[in-house]
Amino acid sequence: MILNRRLLPHVDWLLLGGVVALTLIGLTTIYAVTWNIADNQPGGEFWRQAYAVPVGLAALMACVFVDYRTLAQRSPLLYGGLLLMLVAVLAVGFEAKGSRRWLDLGVGSLQPSEFARLVLALVLAMVYGDGRRSARSMRDLMIGGLVLAGPFSLIFLQPDLGTAVTLVPIYAGIVYVAGLRMRWVVGAVLVGVLLSPVVWTFGMQDYQKERVLTFLDPYKDPKDAGYQQIQARVTVGSGGLTGKGFGQGTQGAYRFLPEGHNDFVFAVLAEEQGFAGVIGVLGLYLFVIWRSLDAARLARDRVGAFLVVGLVSWFLFQVVYNITMQAGLAPVKGLTLPLMSYGGSSLVATMAGFGLILNVRMRRFTN
Amino acid sequence: MLSPGAYEDRQNLQTRLAGLRAGVVVVFVFLVVAFWVLQVLQYAEHRDRAERNHTRSIPLLAPRGVLFDRNGEVLVSSRRSFRIAIIREQTTDVQASIRQLAEVTHTSEDELKAIVDRHRGEAPFRPIAVIEHATDAQIAAVIARKLELPEVVVEQVPMRTYPESALAAHLFGYVGEVRQAQLKLPRFAGLPPGAVIGQAGLEQVYNELLMGTDGNRFVTVDSRGREIEELQRQDPLAGQRVRLTIDADMQRALEAAFQADGFAGAAAFVDPRTGEVLALTSLPSYDPNDFSVGISSATWAALNEDPLRPLGNRLIQGLYSPGSTFKIVMAIAALEEGVITPDTEVSCKGSGVFYGRRFKCWNTAGHGPMTLRHALEQSCNVFFYTLGERMSIDTINKWATRLGLVGKTGIDLPQEKASLVPSEEWKLRERGERWYPGETISVSIGQGAVSVTPLAMAMMMATVANGGTLLTPHLVMATDQGDGWEPVAPPAPRSTFLIPPGHLAAVREGLWMAVNEPRGTATTRGRIPGRDVAGKTGTAQVISNEGLAAAKASGKYTRALNDHGWFVFLAPRDNPEIAGVVLTEHTEHGYLSAPIAKHVLETYFAKKEGRPLPVYKSSIPPTSNVVGTAAAVVPDRGGVR
Repeated sequence: MILNRRLLPHVDWLLLGGVVALTLIGLTTIYAVTWNIADNQPGGEFWRQAYAVPVGLAALMACVFVDYRTLAQRSPLLYGGLLLMLVAVLAVGFEAKGSRRWLDLGVGSLQPSEFARLVLALVLAMVYGDGRRSARSMRDLMIGGLVLAGPFSLIFLQPDLGTAVTLVPIYAGIVYVAGLRMRWVVGAVLVGVLLSPVVWTFGMQDYQKERVLTFLDPYKDPKDAGYQQIQARVTVGSGGLTGKGFGQGTQGAYRFLPEGHNDFVFAVLAEEQGFAGVIGVLGLYLFVIWRSLDAARLARDRVGAFLVVGLVSWFLFQVVYNITMQAGLAPVKGLTLPLMSYGGSSLVATMAGFGLILNVRMRRFTN
Repeated sequence: MLSPGAYEDRQNLQTRLAGLRAGVVVVFVFLVVAFWVLQVLQYAEHRDRAERNHTRSIPLLAPRGVLFDRNGEVLVSSRRSFRIAIIREQTTDVQASIRQLAEVTHTSEDELKAIVDRHRGEAPFRPIAVIEHATDAQIAAVIARKLELPEVVVEQVPMRTYPESALAAHLFGYVGEVRQAQLKLPRFAGLPPGAVIGQAGLEQVYNELLMGTDGNRFVTVDSRGREIEELQRQDPLAGQRVRLTIDADMQRALEAAFQADGFAGAAAFVDPRTGEVLALTSLPSYDPNDFSVGISSATWAALNEDPLRPLGNRLIQGLYSPGSTFKIVMAIAALEEGVITPDTEVSCKGSGVFYGRRFKCWNTAGHGPMTLRHALEQSCNVFFYTLGERMSIDTINKWATRLGLVGKTGIDLPQEKASLVPSEEWKLRERGERWYPGETISVSIGQGAVSVTPLAMAMMMATVANGGTLLTPHLVMATDQGDGWEPVAPPAPRSTFLIPPGHLAAVREGLWMAVNEPRGTATTRGRIPGRDVAGKTGTAQVISNEGLAAAKASGKYTRALNDHGWFVFLAPRDNPEIAGVVLTEHTEHGYLSAPIAKHVLETYFAKKEGRPLPVYKSSIPPTSNVVGTAAAVVPDRGGVR
């Protein structure tokens, strides 16, 4: 059962519309911020991102057509493949900006870590959703934890802590809906607070400590680490209520805020479209998350619900962290804004994720 | 088939999903509030910050106003100069840029480095001028390497230029960068560091007029400081053009004569009808162009350490004993006070006893019976001692004040010193002692506690020339803001009294005889046939006669101990149109000043009548160069401009 025509009316077109709208808003913002005055045309990043959109839509459709249960059942295979790819990245991947993340496929490059989330969500949905396992016992938690640990450690070794960390919400979200005892959460938070001095002293690299310290007082180091944080606030704040207008931003376009097309695309949007634009985009993200959680609520089985929750948890975490960072309220980490930031692999993987969510909702009545 | 407990499971899942949703809403509300604070509450602060980020204001320097002589000849102007600057922000390796720049411009790498180091604290987008007044070859070398050295730019700046170098240096003064301490003064409020202002002379006094207003270019730049577009341009407003009272030809004649004789000193030529200064000088002098290019520390040290103090303006800052020229004041005071008439006779026997002490005449053989005319002609001391005996010091002070020898003349030049003729009150205040009548006798021949600036003497002569109006000397006739010349009202006279024609005629007659009669002290030296030059010589003692004799005896005598020579004058005698003073330092004799005055007066009359200007021939034999000031006159600084 690849595609049943009767399923088409059950596609959540509103959710799909929200996803596409956010993608296009991201694309136009990249268009504005990379505009090259000398050549009078948008920068190469815009075109590369534009080409990624149809690829992403194709991936989305692919993920809609194949029944998610089929995928979930095959997930151990996918999981094995993922681990192999991540090992390959460490072995033969090419290096950029001090870490090894990409595989050269001849026709283009691929960032396997971007697809790790999909695979992990499928595996964990299967682990907790299929059969009667819940996340009530420590043993159950440990099983999922081991599944998480595989891709996490391989990505961490690249090193790409940012991407590795985004795997954790998938696990956290799924064990939460799978019945994680809340006292354990409270207990874990307490332990975390008590252990944080130890982690600070022994567990963190100097540059990571630097980032935290700079976050707490960006003016301590206004030239380097604090610079982005300060400029992000200036960029966002100078947008005001209604913004400077499309293509009229100065902070991103003139490179006062670096990575305006990438990590800080939302700040550029806030600068050009103002608080009104911020409300609009935040509303769209909220809508997309809301509709996605509907898919979880309506899912025919636990596997579907858990799959959606895993994906949404990751999406929510990254969106919220990135946007908090744009407001200067979180340390600057290389976390992109899903759907809007520049990055082909990320866009394709994210759209594929929404394909799975659409898939779950679409098949809520099928047996 | 639902397994047992599936319903319960389902309920559990729904509860947890609802909890998740609640959490999502909370987080999004938090984000909205955060952006509200940033974008709405703190908007203004961030907007200004972003504004400062990407707009730059680049100054367009206004050229200083041109100075003209009274006939419209350009005396001081501004020309375009080019400087080479480095913008540190646009290079990743400043040291390499400096090395390459030094190489292509044939300059010292260390010097360029030192300049860049001095400006290290400034914003990196601000160009640092490393080569001022670049040569054509240097500019070409830099422009040819535009691609290799994008961080090196050629900027055009106005530069003050004095075409005739040291001519009238003390009149014009010089310009220089505003000093740190000056920036705190209200008159320089708002000037940027490095702004060029007048630091001496007219440049200083009329700085506001001459400076103009700098313009600005407001440009958009990117984060590397590269200019993207010009948003706004405000052209600079050049300083006002100023027409001086100075006559360039007289000024040249005056300085040429001093140079030819090799004298240091000061001189001023004034129109006694208006107070306009036609020429003035103080020598030795300096080249103001040295200051325009940013004076080197070596040149600055040399000027400051020179024992002849070329930076000082002797005309208004040098205080000298007036010597016999003070007899003119005595003559007018005595006539006005009714102590004598023009025909009162006093007999000179070579000396006389006053208040129990014997005072000598310079002519120890005695001049015989003298009237005022002859006493002025031959500068008879005994005659004027007698006048001093008949008047109190306060009376003399009163008339000296009316003739301009007390206080400042009020000329529009900076740092003028006050001339002094004593009074009883003055001595009590300054020395804590009462005045002894015997001192009045010394004062009556211009010795004792009398010290005057050469310009005060010139104004005294101008007052005698115009019959009693003490004018304020001034240097500016008109200004032009770009819409035509606007005359500048002359300053008000300091005082006016009327010298009766009979008295005036007697004094002028005596002064005329001094220049034109065979026995006159300045005869043949200052006389111009047909011009009726009237004048008076004088010697200003540097030390007392006894001191000089002692120095000669002990071998400590140097020329610096020699008296200064005065010559004060007016012409023509009956209807004077020019008056003034020439003081030559350490020349011993006032008559050595007279030829300089004569040359300038001849230039004045020749120019007025359209005849060829005279050429000065020094009467001082080169071997007996009295002071040897040739070395002190600022040497030719060829190559600077």
